[in-house]
Amino acid sequence: MRILLVEDDKDLQRLLKKALTDSGYVVDSATDGEEGHFLGDTEPYDAVILDLGLPKLDGVRVLEKWRKAGRNMPVLILTARDRWSDKVAGFDAGADDYLAKPFVTEELLARVRALLRRAAGLATSEIEIGPIRIDTRASRVTVAGNPVKLTSLEYRLLSYLAHHKGKVVSRTELVEHLYDQDFDRDSNTIEVFVGRLRKKLDTDLIQTVRGLGYVLDDKQAD
Amino acid sequence: MTLLSRLRLNSLAGRLIAAAAVWTLFALVAGGLILSNAFRSSAEGDFDSELRTDLDALVAAAGHDRSGEIQLEPRYLSSKFQRAYSGDYWQIVPVGKGETLISHSLLDRTIAFEGLTAAKESVIAGYGDGPDNQRLRILARRIEFPIDVTAKPDDSRAYMFFVAADTSQLVQRIAEFNGTLVWSFVILGLGLVAAVFLQVRIGLQPLRKVTLSLHRIRDGSARRLEGRLPLEIEPLASELNSLIEHSAEVVGRARSYVSNLAHFLKTPLSVLASEAAAQPGPLADAVSRQVGVMRRQVDHYLARARAAGALDVLGNRTPVAGVIEDLARTLKRIHRDRALEIEVACPPALAFRGERQDLEEMAGNLIDNACKWAQGRVRVTATGTGASFALAVEDDGPGLTPQERQQVGERGERLDESVPGTGLGLAIVRDVAKLYGGSLELGGSALGGLCARLTLPAIA
Repeated sequence: MRILLVEDDKDLQRLLKKALTDSGYVVDSATDGEEGHFLGDTEPYDAVILDLGLPKLDGVRVLEKWRKAGRNMPVLILTARDRWSDKVAGFDAGADDYLAKPFVTEELLARVRALLRRAAGLATSEIEIGPIRIDTRASRVTVAGNPVKLTSLEYRLLSYLAHHKGKVVSRTELVEHLYDQDFDRDSNTIEVFVGRLRKKLDTDLIQTVRGLGYVLDDKQAD
Repeated sequence: MTLLSRLRLNSLAGRLIAAAAVWTLFALVAGGLILSNAFRSSAEGDFDSELRTDLDALVAAAGHDRSGEIQLEPRYLSSKFQRAYSGDYWQIVPVGKGETLISHSLLDRTIAFEGLTAAKESVIAGYGDGPDNQRLRILARRIEFPIDVTAKPDDSRAYMFFVAADTSQLVQRIAEFNGTLVWSFVILGLGLVAAVFLQVRIGLQPLRKVTLSLHRIRDGSARRLEGRLPLEIEPLASELNSLIEHSAEVVGRARSYVSNLAHFLKTPLSVLASEAAAQPGPLADAVSRQVGVMRRQVDHYLARARAAGALDVLGNRTPVAGVIEDLARTLKRIHRDRALEIEVACPPALAFRGERQDLEEMAGNLIDNACKWAQGRVRVTATGTGASFALAVEDDGPGLTPQERQQVGERGERLDESVPGTGLGLAIVRDVAKLYGGSLELGGSALGGLCARLTLPAIA
């Protein structure tokens, strides 16, 4: 999952980026409203963490502009402004969640997970697809009750497909959402990882749709 | 002091009207006396000159013979002297011995002449009593007729010629004039006072406008004295407006300083809290604790600084319905995972006498609290009763026992660690409500859970 973090305080940004990356997310960051707006407008993100008190362009304005342009990714507002009028303004501008500073990092991570779940239409933090069960809180996977050991990237790949259950996901999309900007963005490696994942899961629930991408579904196609 | 004099002295209008009334009274009385006197002199003068004419006619009608005896020629005398007690009389009294001649109108009486008054062209004037209780004005003249029959050329006989006229008509004329004068001056006086009254009312109209304007400012429907005011009040009005603006600015600035301080402290506190959590150890524990303390202090003073400002600024007015609807909408989204039903009932015209953000803080905290604890239903009802209104926030959750209510309200403690949020929430609501002279009461709800009842001042 690819997250955009827009926060002007350098220390906090560093801290949050580390926490998010440790949880398996790919993180892009911006330190002012204009840069943040531009990134959110042009790149695909699964979720955005947006501070409100930003230089150059205020967070609420950034959010309004995104929504007006049809950018509908889930946005969590993270800010020291926690008056109710700020919350009302934030939600009216199109936010999906609101976390006031100071906060505990764990809570932020839980809220991001919830955002992603909600966006995927999932009700709980556990995702079940056929015999596969994914505990998104602990980042653990079991198949038919048996735990499966996955690398970080393999887990992220599975998680992404699970969050887009039933939808065909292209290789390019996977590259964009799973790889950091610095890494070699070669879509061939995706094929390798999908192959490895299939083997570990010992299941054929990950289907290849020729020319389009992959889809993870528990409905058997006839 | 009597009520009347107290009223007069305290009112500009009263003073102006009273002064005008006194002055008018004085001027009219003086004018009236002068006019009255003038008329009387004139009337009496006319009267006397007519009488003088009669006297001259009498003298002319009195011929004399060679021994100085009077021979009257009646045709020179007016017929008014014929009628009995007509009011016009003549009398000729010889100086020395001899017969007094009187007019027919006198019949058998004579006129008694009271005292001598100043002689004018040898005419003597005075007053006397006549028949029928008439008061007479009398003119007299001494005439000498030479005697031809005697040897001395200087011998003469002297006579006093009197004419008299009844003054009752004159007196009546004067009385009538005075009467007319008095009532016309009374009407004039009343009219003048009424005119002054009107002028004062119209003149002081701008002051009444200012009073109305001030009421509107108090009520919050205006933020400054509006409209064009006359030169004399303009400086007062513009100073007042400056004062209001300045006061609002000062409060706004103070608030924004506190707000900024809190804002800029929260981010570093976040960083500290997270770093401490990331690297456990004794230092981290100490840091976490202190960060907690700092955070509570920041919230505490921030909430109070926001609310305290509200009391100094004139005329805050917040429509309640809009605030509640905004909050309900936002809280539904915040708690969307729980499929809550938030019912809102608020009269559309209800207004809170205070700042919008304070109402938002209080209502927001209460409704958020209700949402956190509710099983599925939250109900928000606002009811206005004249000078105050009540906001009742109810939920269908587990509610609180009376002891728990006490604890939560008074000391700001959280009772249940399982539901996130600072316990400061309700304590802050209670404190801010108190600053407005209102109150927060916790009780049971018909829905099954807690009912938080917030009472605040309203704008009627």
